[in-house]
Amino acid sequence: MIEEHVVETYEEEREKKGYFGTIFSWLGKNFKFLFVPGYIPEDLIKRRQDFEMLRSKRKFIRRLRSALTMFGIGLIFIIVTFAVFAPWIAQYSFYDLTSFFWNAWQAPSGAHPAGTTDYGRDVLGRLIWGARSSLTIALPALLFAVFFGVIIGIVSGYFGGWVDGILMRIMDIFLAFPGIILILVMISIFGPRMEFFMLAYGILGVAGYSRLIRGSVLQAKELPYVEAARVSGAGHWRLIFRHILPNTFQPVLISFTFDIGGIILSLAGLSFLGYGDAHLIEWGNDIAIGRYHLYDAPWAALWPGFMIVLTVLGFMLLGDGLRDALDPRLKNL
Amino acid sequence: MSLLKYVIRRVLIMIPVLFGAITVVFILSRLMPGDPTSAYLPIHATVEQQEAIRRYLGLDQPMIIQYFRYIGDLLTGNWGLSSNISKGQPVWELIWERFPRTMELTIFAILIASLIGIRAGVLTAKHRNKAQDTIVRGFALVGVSIPVFWLGMLMQYSLTYMLPNWIYATFGVDVKIFPATGYKTPGYPDPPMITGFRLIDSLMSGQLYLFIDYLHHLILPVIALAFITLASITRQTRSSMLEVLQQDYIRTARAKGCNEKDVVHSHALKNALIPTVTIIGLNFGGLLGGAVLTETTFNLKGMGNLIINAIRRYDYYVINATVFLTALIFVVVNLLMDVIYGLLDPRIRF
Repeated sequence: MIEEHVVETYEEEREKKGYFGTIFSWLGKNFKFLFVPGYIPEDLIKRRQDFEMLRSKRKFIRRLRSALTMFGIGLIFIIVTFAVFAPWIAQYSFYDLTSFFWNAWQAPSGAHPAGTTDYGRDVLGRLIWGARSSLTIALPALLFAVFFGVIIGIVSGYFGGWVDGILMRIMDIFLAFPGIILILVMISIFGPRMEFFMLAYGILGVAGYSRLIRGSVLQAKELPYVEAARVSGAGHWRLIFRHILPNTFQPVLISFTFDIGGIILSLAGLSFLGYGDAHLIEWGNDIAIGRYHLYDAPWAALWPGFMIVLTVLGFMLLGDGLRDALDPRLKNL
Repeated sequence: MSLLKYVIRRVLIMIPVLFGAITVVFILSRLMPGDPTSAYLPIHATVEQQEAIRRYLGLDQPMIIQYFRYIGDLLTGNWGLSSNISKGQPVWELIWERFPRTMELTIFAILIASLIGIRAGVLTAKHRNKAQDTIVRGFALVGVSIPVFWLGMLMQYSLTYMLPNWIYATFGVDVKIFPATGYKTPGYPDPPMITGFRLIDSLMSGQLYLFIDYLHHLILPVIALAFITLASITRQTRSSMLEVLQQDYIRTARAKGCNEKDVVHSHALKNALIPTVTIIGLNFGGLLGGAVLTETTFNLKGMGNLIINAIRRYDYYVINATVFLTALIFVVVNLLMDVIYGLLDPRIRF
């Protein structure tokens, strides 16, 4: 009913205006900028916004596309390929790489392109399979950390007050220990199992991520557009998920990339100390085994180390590139 | 005055965190398998003797009483006896012997990393997106990606095995460039215990050869450990330098005819270093963790070695004391860094 009425009034008005009237109104709409100083047509504003968004996106991609970052992305691609397609890439199966043979500490040859380690296990095969166990522990641990970090960070940052005080003090307690020592103690209690590694790194990660997210929530809460959304009647959920949470995405992304590298390094350290999961093929463990044969079979300890360096370097380079591309302080440079 | 107030407030905030840390250590230590009474008993002790010791140590009490007794013991320095590492030796003695060695290692590493990292950060900021920038950043990132223990092994392999072998093969000279492991040449005496720091002790007792020997043994571990923090210090210096170099007073300094060296090194660097100080403080904890790995690689008998041995052999009281001590050091260093931050930056009002 109402719509019909509106259409009728519009048509009546048009009839009243006549052809000259419509032409004048069209001219007025499209050439208003000639007569009114400072006037910009609405569709032009929209187009300009689109252009700005595109340009900033392009700027982001251009900044990301530095030689170092591309190198990092390439390294990550290779490592992820190794992790996913290990049975197809490696010359030997998981069973072969964890069983016992007679040809221990053999120099590189056709059958073993990077030599063999203790019990005659192929070094190259263990390099390829090792990618899988590193990433399988690092990724779930970090996802756990981000999930709970987001919840705790938002609760303490958005609602503030005594909840904030208590939560942040608890997180401070976890940050008061050097991570590797706390994880060593936890693993020595619960046993060196893959699940416990994930859980331990996850719990430690929650502390870091909740602080990070709380910081950016506190910053975002004071921004004018959040204020505007609140004034126009947005509820807590809408404010948090539509207006504040997207702001925390960038620092979390950067930190996530760095932390994958950090966890892989730390895991390698733990298995070097003898606290790795014995059921997995791990680079750190290979280094620990090859360490005592450094002078007669250097390949057994050197190649896994290179692999760790390349993996971690890939994630660090990507994180560095992301931070450079997203850092608002460097935007005008 | 306001700074004093700030320090007092920070210390008051620190106290609940420390108590929380103590609680975490308490819970973990009660979860740990093993029996702490064995430290106090001979091997062939009877069950009655064991029960008596349990009662003496308060292990038959309810958990809550044990908890408060535990806090009291930790704070009054009654840290118990080592049970498995060196049976019956007080934990204090062990820590007093090991702690200064780790401190020497970490402090040297922090010093070297800051010196190189700040220089590199200034260099990269001055030549942003040029070849120097890319090379230094890439190098720093490679440095942070190398596992400390593997870097140590690599240095041991190349500098104490390959290089001397090559020199011997080509020149016929048998030289030892660096020692591979240990903190002193075997057979050398320990300096008399004055401060516990070997470097200071050997100087104070006038035994210069011990001092030089110790420094010689420290070089490789310190370099390996310094690599951990090098990249983050470089990175922080670079980004804060870039920010400062954009500011108006730098333009003014350039406009009035300061030469570029003065502008960068005295005008800009002074302000750019302020965030770097915090990063250095934050990295200190990471270095304490890294010391565990470095000391294992180089077979240095320091705190890290003590912690890993205690965990490996379930030495109850040693784990308690060392983990608590690392947390305490970490918290205190962070507090100090915050205060230094306030002192350096007059814009911060407390």
